[in-house]
Amino acid sequence: MNKSQLSAREILKEWGIRNFRVIDKQAISEITLGASILATGGGGDPEIGLLWTYKVLDEGKEILMVDPMDVPDEIQTASTACLGAAIVLTEKPPSSDVLSLAMERLETYLGRKIEATIPLECGGVNSPVSYAAAGEMGIPVIDVDGMNRAFPELQMTSWVTHGMHSSPTVSVDNRKNVTVIDTGDDDVLAETLARRAAMAYGGISWIATYPLTGEQMKETSILGSQSIAWAVGRAVMRARQEHLDPIVELLNSLKEERNVEGFRVFRGKIVDINRDFGSETNKGFTLGTVTLDGIDSYKGQTATLDFQNEWLNLRVDGKVLCLPPDLIAILDSETGEPIRTDIMKYGYRGTVVVIPAHERMRTPKGIEMFGPRHFGYDLDYMPVEDLNTAGGGV
Amino acid sequence: MEEKGQLRVGFDVGGTFTDGVVMQGRNVLSKSKSLTTQDVTGGIVEALDEVLTKSGVNPADVAMVSLGTTHTTNALIERRNLNQVGVFRLGAPATTAIPPLTGWPEDLKEAIGGSELVHIIRGGSEYDGRDIVPLDTKAIENACRSMKGKVNSVAITGVFSPIINDHEEQAAKIVREVLGDDVHITLSHRIATISLLERENSTILNASVISVMQRAVKSLRAAVRERGIDAPLFIVQNDGSVMSADYAVDYPIFTVASGPAASVRGSVYLSGIEDGVVVDIGGTSTDVAYIVNGFPRESSITVTIGGVKTNIRCPDLLSIALGGGTIIKHDGNDVTSLGPESVGYNLVRLGKSFGGPLLTVHDTAVALGKLRQKLDVFKTSFATHPEKIAEVPKPLISAAWARIKTTIEEVIDKMKTTPDPVPAIFIGGGAMVVPKENIVGVSEVLSPDHFEVGGAVGTTIAEIGAYAEGVVDLDIDNRDEAIAQVTEHAKDNAASAGAIRDTVEVIDVEEIPFTYMPGKREKIRIRVKGQVLR
Repeated sequence: MNKSQLSAREILKEWGIRNFRVIDKQAISEITLGASILATGGGGDPEIGLLWTYKVLDEGKEILMVDPMDVPDEIQTASTACLGAAIVLTEKPPSSDVLSLAMERLETYLGRKIEATIPLECGGVNSPVSYAAAGEMGIPVIDVDGMNRAFPELQMTSWVTHGMHSSPTVSVDNRKNVTVIDTGDDDVLAETLARRAAMAYGGISWIATYPLTGEQMKETSILGSQSIAWAVGRAVMRARQEHLDPIVELLNSLKEERNVEGFRVFRGKIVDINRDFGSETNKGFTLGTVTLDGIDSYKGQTATLDFQNEWLNLRVDGKVLCLPPDLIAILDSETGEPIRTDIMKYGYRGTVVVIPAHERMRTPKGIEMFGPRHFGYDLDYMPVEDLNTAGGGV
Repeated sequence: MEEKGQLRVGFDVGGTFTDGVVMQGRNVLSKSKSLTTQDVTGGIVEALDEVLTKSGVNPADVAMVSLGTTHTTNALIERRNLNQVGVFRLGAPATTAIPPLTGWPEDLKEAIGGSELVHIIRGGSEYDGRDIVPLDTKAIENACRSMKGKVNSVAITGVFSPIINDHEEQAAKIVREVLGDDVHITLSHRIATISLLERENSTILNASVISVMQRAVKSLRAAVRERGIDAPLFIVQNDGSVMSADYAVDYPIFTVASGPAASVRGSVYLSGIEDGVVVDIGGTSTDVAYIVNGFPRESSITVTIGGVKTNIRCPDLLSIALGGGTIIKHDGNDVTSLGPESVGYNLVRLGKSFGGPLLTVHDTAVALGKLRQKLDVFKTSFATHPEKIAEVPKPLISAAWARIKTTIEEVIDKMKTTPDPVPAIFIGGGAMVVPKENIVGVSEVLSPDHFEVGGAVGTTIAEIGAYAEGVVDLDIDNRDEAIAQVTEHAKDNAASAGAIRDTVEVIDVEEIPFTYMPGKREKIRIRVKGQVLR
């Protein structure tokens, strides 16, 4: 499908790389679970992406993942993703060649061969689909992404905050309609156009975006993002098998893989969901607030979370405990399965965990682009570590 | 006759027991409990004879016969007597990355005819009503020719058919023309909602058990008629309402949770509680369900049937390993664990009350003097060896009783959606051997009369449930008009399932917004119920 007739293994051989990881079904399940947890309540249903990846593997295609630092500086990479309405994806899964087509057209536009792909974000949809695409095309996946969480818009990446741009982006659909979006350095306009294209296609688009050289990729990505998701997913799956506390295992895995401290801050039951169709709706997001009543040692306390597809902000008894871009996850206390904003229901019980965003998401530019003030809070960003140690808090 | 209400006969087929009742109004005229037979139908006929004899009613006066059944579930689990299914998906060029039957257990795939009967056809719709591409009718014709003689049931699933069903209907017409009237056709938009793969799985499973249900209905009808009953036959569906037997033959997959749903409905009926929690305590396990407006709350998670993920609507049930026969392990007077092992059937051999070596939940109730009646099921007294119970230290009994109480409180709390106390209905054979006083989170515990045949009673509540869905853009469409339109569809569906059209009323309106999509698009889902008898 790709003009390159090389397999992923042959590409790596050309690059002179001997170390890579072979992604099998177990690996992609773990990566996807971890990514869903890091998706901060968003990112969509993992089912479609996983089944697609399984099928690619069943057909004998290989999926290989490489360390970013092993990637040659001069080669061309691009991110692959699904952009659009999650509910449409569950009804209209793709054909196998959508992302190959997007990549092929991006190659044509760039006049360069693309030799590796990168997931855009950590999410139930967008993590596995990049692996499936890599398998379909016979190119490697690089162990990075642009968020190490999920965010609602295409420009909310470490790439943009470090001076890169999503343009040119190629957006395609199942009928092989192709839209090239090239807005130069206007990444917000690119997002608007990409979303319009998705709507015009019928709610879902498949994109090849953020064309970066190997060197740019290393300087601006969240390095090791895939490994982080993998470690988190592996820890939670192991906890299920060995009947350990999945929350403890998750926090330990973050410490080992990222050397950061996450916090278990609440355990409760959803007692109110207020979905808000207010003035912001024509932006295309589900907004609202969810309230949890504390259980066990948190009895008597109340947690409130705002969401805009992803969880934005957490308050417990009025005290702010997490602000964007730091991560919030509500996890089933027994299984560690993330409770997403699109499927949460009254009565769900879970443990709330907050996790520091990656440092490349916390630069001053990052706080400006996706910090509290961007989402309408009259609050200065404070790192989740400060908010959750004695004396901290707003 | 009129003021007393019409006569209804109901059966609930469970894994172990088949229960039967004859009802008149709210009165149970007779009841029976017998072992479920291998062929299921035999056990029902036996129960029928028993309840008719006991009640002494004139069979000609019976107005309705209904049952909750495991025919479908058993066939799917055992991969037995399944139809050979031709599978059509209308969705190419989209959807091909994940073909039909992906993720199915190999043996089930083979039992329904395998991948060679699967066709992905160009067609299907977008969410806004446009065609993805025009339906490839020629391809359907050709596929049907290739299936001739190999299939006796066909499953058709079109992308976005729950919103726009034209392509599915067109495809059905072609299948009918080429394969003839003897082939059963299942259309996905009549089976389940948005989510293609799960709806397709549900549709294919439905197509695979049509003959099973058809045979069951046929033999039951014959048996009922032989006994002089001239009344319509109804089957309980997953939401606890009933559907006509003819409708059930077309939609057998709607009966997979028939039994538990009937139990919940029976509890509601016998107790008069419309909102609360139902705790069904058996010999080895306890199922907890939540009632909203008299119907079991639906599960929001994927339901797996025979190893296949579906989006069939089923009751939200939480099961724990606690029943009358659950073994209490102890170290001195300390309880070390409550189950999950149970003596089950062997209670009368292994329980201390019967001279056995093991301390069970039943024995703690005996020790505390909670039991008075005989155990009908076992046809014995509740304790044949009271002296063995007297030997058990009192502190151990208290500790065990407290542990059972906490376990029940925890499972109830998990199912509740409000911190306020709610009424609880305790039913099932084990209901008499567990604590019922001062249960935390519960306003009152009810164990209505006849609770041991609650499922059979539940089948006789002559209400039909149905639903319909639509997608609207609130920027363009009028919300009230959209809701009215979907409501009409739901009422039509209830009528075709056997309800009297003008008795149909709305029980729930749900609006689900689309995420990651501009505009005010949302899915409207409306549930209705209607009466079978005037």
